[in-house]
Amino acid sequence: MKLKVCGMKYQDNIEQVASLQPDYLGFIFYEKTPRHFDTKIPEISEDIKKVGVFVNEEASTIIEKVNEFELDAIQLHGEEAPFYCSILKTTKLFNKPVEIIKVFSIKDEFNFDVLEQYEAVCDYFLFDTKGKLPGGNGYIFDWSVLNDYPSTKPFFLSGGIGIDQIEDIKKFKKSEASKYCYAIDVNSKFETEPGLKNSSILREFINKLHNRKTMNYNVDEKGYYGEFGGAFIPEMLYPNVEELRQNYLKVMAEPNFQKEFDQLLKDYVGRPSPLYFAKRLSEKYNTKIYLKREDLNHTGAHKINNTIGQILMAKRLGKTRIIAETGAGQHGVATATVCALMGLECIVYMGEIDIARQAPNVARMKMLGATVVPALSGSRTLKDATNEAIRDWINNPVDTHYIIGSAIGPHPYPDMVTRFQAVISEEIKWQLREQEGRENPDYVVACIGGGSNAAGTYYHYLHEPDVGIIAVEAAGLGVDSGESAATSVLGNEGIIHGCKTLLMQTKDGQITEPYSISAGLDYPGVGPMHAHLSKTGRAEFMSITDSDAMEAGLELSKLEGIIPAIETSHALAIFGKKQFKPDDVVVVSLSGRGDKDLENYIDYFKI
Amino acid sequence: MKNYSFKMNRINQKLQEDKKLLSIYFTAGYPNIDDTVSIIQDLEKNGVDMIEIGLPFSDPLADGPTIQDSSTAALKNGMTSEVLFKQLKDVRKTVNIPLIIMGYFNPMFQYGVEAFCEKCQELGIDGLIIPDLPVDVYHEHYQDIFEKYGLINVFLITPQTSDERIRYIDSISNGFIYMVSSASTTGAQSGFGNVQTDYFERIAQMDLKNPQVIGFGISNNETFTQATQYAKGAIIGSAFVKHVTKYGANSVDAFVNKVLNG
Repeated sequence: MKLKVCGMKYQDNIEQVASLQPDYLGFIFYEKTPRHFDTKIPEISEDIKKVGVFVNEEASTIIEKVNEFELDAIQLHGEEAPFYCSILKTTKLFNKPVEIIKVFSIKDEFNFDVLEQYEAVCDYFLFDTKGKLPGGNGYIFDWSVLNDYPSTKPFFLSGGIGIDQIEDIKKFKKSEASKYCYAIDVNSKFETEPGLKNSSILREFINKLHNRKTMNYNVDEKGYYGEFGGAFIPEMLYPNVEELRQNYLKVMAEPNFQKEFDQLLKDYVGRPSPLYFAKRLSEKYNTKIYLKREDLNHTGAHKINNTIGQILMAKRLGKTRIIAETGAGQHGVATATVCALMGLECIVYMGEIDIARQAPNVARMKMLGATVVPALSGSRTLKDATNEAIRDWINNPVDTHYIIGSAIGPHPYPDMVTRFQAVISEEIKWQLREQEGRENPDYVVACIGGGSNAAGTYYHYLHEPDVGIIAVEAAGLGVDSGESAATSVLGNEGIIHGCKTLLMQTKDGQITEPYSISAGLDYPGVGPMHAHLSKTGRAEFMSITDSDAMEAGLELSKLEGIIPAIETSHALAIFGKKQFKPDDVVVVSLSGRGDKDLENYIDYFKI
Repeated sequence: MKNYSFKMNRINQKLQEDKKLLSIYFTAGYPNIDDTVSIIQDLEKNGVDMIEIGLPFSDPLADGPTIQDSSTAALKNGMTSEVLFKQLKDVRKTVNIPLIIMGYFNPMFQYGVEAFCEKCQELGIDGLIIPDLPVDVYHEHYQDIFEKYGLINVFLITPQTSDERIRYIDSISNGFIYMVSSASTTGAQSGFGNVQTDYFERIAQMDLKNPQVIGFGISNNETFTQATQYAKGAIIGSAFVKHVTKYGANSVDAFVNKVLNG
């Protein structure tokens, strides 16, 4: 069965819907409808037939429009007589052959005798629901009327069809009445406003209509992203993690929770963070670069989106004690901040070596009232701090909530963290629409350690095939140097910190210590969602060395007056590695600001 | 897939003996890489009933500092799954008590779960304890493999485990249940209070099909005696590792005698 999407109005939306490859797109040339088409049709695939919809229009106007817009079909939606149809059928004034679709509106019953005189002068019939307006009324008629369809002419089934009718359509397809049904025609039920179609719901509809199983990049009901994820935890942690698993979606859906979360993001964090068109950077690389300014958030990075969400979650679950792990100290500071805000006890585990390297952040945490506990085991860095936090949780199972700082850990952590960070791509959508007139960029780019800013930046684009996803890992001194954190290249499947994912390890399964100049990227694994994006090829993974990242950080400072965190500099360095088209819109998550890295920049550039 | 492959398993036989069982955990390849087999032999010689051979892991998140440190040292000594299997090649020529390998899932996963199990059977290993392999994942993906190679997988329960989940774990188990004495990592405490003994009693009254062996927090004759009032046996780990750290691998007899005879 073919699909026609009618009532297209906006150029970007037309391109978006065209990317779903419907068989027909309908443009309404009738001024009295809010879906009246009055712009140009962008270039779309030749396989999609363009239909002009007319209501009691002059034949000469129709001919003019068909030629001007290179229409493939005309749909006559008024009281056009058979003779009138025959003129259009036989005229030589069209530049190319045109299909004629005649519409008939059905209420509860229909006298099919009327069809006979149209048989010879039309290519298709279209059955719509009779309503106040010609089309777009959103009501369904009783399809069983078509049991009496006397003709053999193929017809379009129309009138109020939405995603809720999938089962009815499947039933209808099996019935005798659908024998000559050629296409389904949809319109208002897929709109966010008249003329603007929601392409993701439309995609879901198309997939369901064709029983197509699409790749799901989100977590499934068992806590897996494809083969990655799950909850590989000792029994001692089961009650804690299970409590969270059973409650997190419920709590997040509570209107009060949403309200408090949104309010704090706005008033305390300072959201929405700007989407900034980087003019000079764009000129240099001859493409359109937008920066999502997470560096302007309170505490200087995206981390706080997650800690605000999790502290509210912890309070809803009646927890009084908060623990966290931190590498460079950014997540530790973000956690200590929200604990101060909520008056909760805060213990941050930090590798002994990192404590020595990141003194200012240790001081910040202490000022905010947190206790910083050195992790003395293993390599005494981030992964060991994570182990210590998990051990603390084992020892304090009842009153304590563990705020994991990245999209890692046992299910439901990767999903929960991703959902709290998803505000990033939610904002990009409307901000880009304001600035570029379209929600979807050509690429979204983010750096990946565990991958929480990346998860948030990708989230609303995961299932938009026209949006390319680029994940940037830290190559350290070079992917093959032995001093690297490029997990997607160097890692393989394994279990770390409670989930199955890609991680860097020895042949014997011992987890190895990664290296990057950026403390936020030297984690030996990636979140399970990213492992899945890598394995399925949905995301393009790139690795950037220390030196390329540092240069890119300096370049942004000089060109745009923004000193980025070294993590973020990795994402910015791809412009020197990959050529984008001049009209490509590339959104980069500017995940953090560079204040914390000043000493590194000073050392590196001998400033 | 029923119990046919277990009828000869040493763990089941041992559990049928009319005595309280002492099980000892130690880290393979520690204090020295070649201490593994001699420690096993000495433990048996001195009256230990069952042994957990710890396969070291870089990130042992259920363990306290003692076993973490011994694991780090053992890895530094060169211990790997391969090396351990080589060391255990002839262990069944001299040792008769049940041997269990205890380790984290990732090294087994890298070795290949089936290859690992096959090797265990070949060497005469009777069971595995894998703290971070959850019972439902085992049930869904690995139970058939374990049973094919006649291995008993031992699951943990804690004071926080619900009765319903304990019953589920009991239904999947076919050896014993490892009863973690309190919400903690290994080696965290000494002695049991009312909270623990209430929990021990509660489990004892559940009339489970698998006997229980208590671990975590057992360190000497007193705690061993106390724990085995409520359970079939008890496991000592950190205290033993501490002992060999201090006195070396040749001092096994002193430790075991003290635990058994006070």
